[in-house]
Amino acid sequence: MAGIALTTITKSFGPTPVLRGIDLDIRDGEFLTLVGPSGCGKSTLLRIIAGLESQDSGDVQLGDRLVNDVRPAERNLAMVFQSYALYPHLTVAENMKVPLRLRQLGFFERFPILGPLISGDKHRALDAAVSETAGILKIEQLLNRKPGQLSGGQRQRAALGRAMVRAPVAFLMDEPLSNLDAALRVHMRAELSELHRSLGATFVYVTHDQAEALTMSDRMAVMMGGEILQLDRPELVYEDPNDLRVAEFIGSPKINVLEGRADASGAITAAGVTLEDRIDAGTAPALKIGIRPEHLTLLPAPGEGVFSGQIVHRENLGADLFIHMDLGPTRMIVRCDPSEIQALEPGQTAHAVPQRGRALFFGADGTRIRPGAPVAPAVAAQVA
Amino acid sequence: MRNTRAHYWFVAPAIMLMAVILIAPILFAAYLSFTDYALGNQTADWVGLKNYDRIINRSSFQKMFTATFTYVLVVVPLSVGLGLGAALMINSVKRFGDVYKTIYFLPVMAALLAMAIVWEFALHPTVGIINKTLAMSCGTWLETIGFFERGCARNFPLWLGDKAYAIWSVAFIGVWQGFGFNMVLYLAGLTSVPRELYHAAEMDGARTGWERFRLITWPMLGPTTVFVVTITCIRSFQVFDTVEAFHPQGGGPSKSVYVMMFAIYEKGIQQNLMGLGAAVTMIFLAFVLGLTLIQRWLVERRVHY
Amino acid sequence: MTKASPKHPLSIPFASPVNLSVSEAIKHAVLILGAVVVILPFYVMLSYSLKAPNEIERNVGGFFGAQAPMVNERCMKRGEPEQAAINAALPDHPGKTAREVKAILSAPVEAACTTRPVVFNYSMAFSEAPLLRYLLNGVIVTASIFFIQVLVALPCAYALAKLRWWGREAVFTLVLFCLLIPVHAIALPLYIMLSKLGLTNTYAALVIPWTISVFGIFLMRQFFMTVPDDLIDAARMDGMTEFGIIWKVMLPTAIPALLAFAIFSVVAHWNDYFWPRIVVTGNRDLFTPPLGLREFKGDADGSFFGPMMATATVIVMPLIVAFLLAQRRFIEGITLTGMK
Repeated sequence: MAGIALTTITKSFGPTPVLRGIDLDIRDGEFLTLVGPSGCGKSTLLRIIAGLESQDSGDVQLGDRLVNDVRPAERNLAMVFQSYALYPHLTVAENMKVPLRLRQLGFFERFPILGPLISGDKHRALDAAVSETAGILKIEQLLNRKPGQLSGGQRQRAALGRAMVRAPVAFLMDEPLSNLDAALRVHMRAELSELHRSLGATFVYVTHDQAEALTMSDRMAVMMGGEILQLDRPELVYEDPNDLRVAEFIGSPKINVLEGRADASGAITAAGVTLEDRIDAGTAPALKIGIRPEHLTLLPAPGEGVFSGQIVHRENLGADLFIHMDLGPTRMIVRCDPSEIQALEPGQTAHAVPQRGRALFFGADGTRIRPGAPVAPAVAAQVA
Repeated sequence: MRNTRAHYWFVAPAIMLMAVILIAPILFAAYLSFTDYALGNQTADWVGLKNYDRIINRSSFQKMFTATFTYVLVVVPLSVGLGLGAALMINSVKRFGDVYKTIYFLPVMAALLAMAIVWEFALHPTVGIINKTLAMSCGTWLETIGFFERGCARNFPLWLGDKAYAIWSVAFIGVWQGFGFNMVLYLAGLTSVPRELYHAAEMDGARTGWERFRLITWPMLGPTTVFVVTITCIRSFQVFDTVEAFHPQGGGPSKSVYVMMFAIYEKGIQQNLMGLGAAVTMIFLAFVLGLTLIQRWLVERRVHY
Repeated sequence: MTKASPKHPLSIPFASPVNLSVSEAIKHAVLILGAVVVILPFYVMLSYSLKAPNEIERNVGGFFGAQAPMVNERCMKRGEPEQAAINAALPDHPGKTAREVKAILSAPVEAACTTRPVVFNYSMAFSEAPLLRYLLNGVIVTASIFFIQVLVALPCAYALAKLRWWGREAVFTLVLFCLLIPVHAIALPLYIMLSKLGLTNTYAALVIPWTISVFGIFLMRQFFMTVPDDLIDAARMDGMTEFGIIWKVMLPTAIPALLAFAIFSVVAHWNDYFWPRIVVTGNRDLFTPPLGLREFKGDADGSFFGPMMATATVIVMPLIVAFLLAQRRFIEGITLTGMK
């Protein structure tokens, strides 16, 4: 087991740059998630770590070993594919035995009948390893079935089993949950986290689903346009995004973004309302204000620094209630207590005020403006 | 669904034609095979199993089986193997794959009879391009090889007229004509193999092309192979054009290329021994139906998705 | 997701580049060798159709031959001056022998009979046998076969795919069974039936056994299964009859499948030799192209290699050229049988 270090990785497909100089240091035993919208380069980055794709420039290091010129089979990484990529003609047990067979048996030992005859002990050892792994994943009763006879979740486990059966340097996972239905996905999230804890292995996990990234990772790297915009613990990425794009991508429902102006003193006006929070004088005249729905509080009446607008839509999720307010140029989503539902009929006017210090300010180019601090550097992908 | 009788008009012609053109002739042939019917006769005499007895015991029919099975057993493995090999190579080269594909498919498009006649010229013992080319080896080191030594001292083979070569020459042309078809089917089969499987195999430690082939390509092409083998078998059983073009009478030197379709043609059309021809027809049909049923069974058994 | 799309199934980027180019070169070498063997008869055919008889016999002249003017012996024979004409001309040429006079009189004929080998071969191909007629027959037969096949198969396939009626499963089973029967194999009983009806040596005999394409029914049925029911229901709502639906709704949607089937059918029947050989005997007016070529070969003496190869070229080329122009469609059409 080892960490993974990437240094200034670039990659283009033809004229299209896909990765623009990625630096990433994945710690030994860490669960690191690469998250971002489609086409952000996260899968390509994973495949470069695996060796299935070669980088145009930059270095990949596994532990102390530089593996730029090492083919995937020799890197001793395990990968779980989005489609699971189980061998359809082999049973689950045979599928799980493949990586052991290919690595630990010689040419003749792999022959169907001859193999067990000349080295029965080795074969028995491999079978034992398979059933042990199957025990951990609770798929013993599936071992003799073929992938076509399994449900999506069972295939997922079989694919995990094939990856786990040998001790790889790290596990690479390419959207492994995206083919499962919603309920199973939530369940598997918990199970993958537990598995990670019990194995103590390095996991590199690619997903476009911010919820998976938030729930499972030790650290998450938010990627967009071939760059890592922010690499941090999930709660920090959520609470303290470096970039408007990160703030917008992480969080559901999406963060409210308002166009605002700051006067010479740093007082901010948005949608005709002057906010309580202010920025340092002279930082930026035009800015964007991000306010998460749960950082807004409903008030019974309008007032200073309060947004007022007609309720145009109401979403009741049971535990949470979201209302959509029409502010004229834009809409604003506010999380409220479901007990207040009676008072929040569409068509009525609601009043909401941002909680103090919770509004996030971004410059016109999307970089975060922190009150009382100098403007943050554009890309904060440096590694702790 | 509306209550309409339109379907009668839609399926009646097809059913009638199937009955008259496909089903009736089989029953008719089955009946004829027990008679000594000849075209022009008013009646046919029932001769029981005599026709079948002749087919099993006469040496000319034993030669028919030898020729047919030799042909099938040569053409099927070779044209399937070459088809697969060509498909794998075309699939793996970086450039010009389409050019090879087009070239290899050309013989499938060309009238086999016309190409047989061309081959006959190419294989002509004295002026043919094959023997002329082989003769160029005379005087070089190649002459130390037995085949060339004999060829240069006397003659290179009479490819079509020598009973030691005739069936192999016909089989060669069969392979030449058929492997491009198999190649295209295999290429189609290859495109349906998910690429992620190869990536998974690489991650699992498959280093050589052979390991990937054994682990993924060959098993995934299983259904294609079953189909390709069956259809090549059926086509090989039906070989006629080349045989008739080279040996219009009697099935070649010592009947060494006396294949079944030619036997049917000779007995039935040339010699008007319809009963005997019908008996060969029935045996032929039994082979072909048997093969197809085996294929269906294999396909249904091997469902792994 | 990001798509890395190397053309071949696996491009692991880390195989050593030296190995890679060596194996690539070996593959090309093998493939080129195969291509040479495959092309060889086509080369021979084209080349012989261009060359003079003496060049063919001695195997000289490369691909095109020297194209030196040659005298057409048959043409000379036909134009040879009569003995009477020679005798009559003798007084005009005092002091010359009859042989010399004959040579003088033949000169214009010889000039008229002297051609380039390529012209000789191809003109002989068309003049020694009614090759145009053969080609026309080929077109008539393949076109009528295809036309009737579609006429029969399309309604049946529609009924099997989109209408519900008693006995449908039984009919479909019958179709599946008939798929197993190779028509060539039952040639004898078919031949007897046709000759009892007095139909041998007619176009009908060439066409009738192929009017029912079980494969066509099967193929079209599979295709129609993929057409949404809503389309048909909409047509019914618009007041179309079932018959109108087939030709005005289903036929147009089925064009791609029909095109592939057309290629499959036309290639099979243009190239078919066995069946025409059985039902057409002697009557040259009914010969299809392969039969005509066979007949030509039967007549041929040694000097006719050229014209015979020209005939073969003319017969083979239409499909080859069509194939080269629309390769993808052709390969689709021919490999349709793979769908079974």
